[in-house]
Amino acid sequence: MAKPVLRKPKKKVCQFCKEKVSYVDYKDTTLLRKFISDRGKIRARRVTGNCVQHQRDVATAVKNAREVALLPYTSTAR
Amino acid sequence: MRAYEVMVILDPDLEERTVAPSLDTYLNVVRKDGGSVEKVDVWGRRRLAYEINKNSEGIYAVVELQAEPATVKELDRQLSLNESVLRTKVIRPDVR
Repeated sequence: MAKPVLRKPKKKVCQFCKEKVSYVDYKDTTLLRKFISDRGKIRARRVTGNCVQHQRDVATAVKNAREVALLPYTSTAR
Repeated sequence: MRAYEVMVILDPDLEERTVAPSLDTYLNVVRKDGGSVEKVDVWGRRRLAYEINKNSEGIYAVVELQAEPATVKELDRQLSLNESVLRTKVIRPDVR
C-alpha cells in the first residue's frame, strides 16, 4: 500500500518580473550563467521559475551571447 | 534613424591601444551618412568560450550608435572584410 507522495510544489516567482526588468542583456554573462547548465544548455522554465516572456528573453540573450563567444554552445565538463 | 549596438571581436595579436583609433576610422562611415556614434567601449582581451579561427582569445569592443539601417549594413560589411576582425554582431537593443 504505497501511498502516493503528495508534493505541493512551491510556486516560484519569476525573478525578472520581481525586479521589473524589461531587457535581458546578452553581455551580462554572470547573470546568464545562472540559466545554463554546466553542459552549457539552457535551463528549462520549470527549473528556473521564469515566466514565459522572460524565459524567452533569457533564451534569446543566451543565444546571442553564444554567437559572440561569451557563452559556450557546449562545454565538455564530464 | 535607429539605435544599434555593434559588437566586434578583434584578433588578439593586435595592440590593444591601436584598437580604438582603427575602429574609429570604420565608424566614419556612420558619421558621413548622418548617423552618430554614442559610445565606444573597448573591453580589452578576453577569453572566448570557444575557438574562433584557431584563436582562444579576442579583443572585444562594443559600439553604440544611431544610424540608418543601410549605413549599419555597410559598416558591418566593411568590418567583416577586415582580416583582423574575428566576428561582428549587430543588435537592436530597444526592440520590443
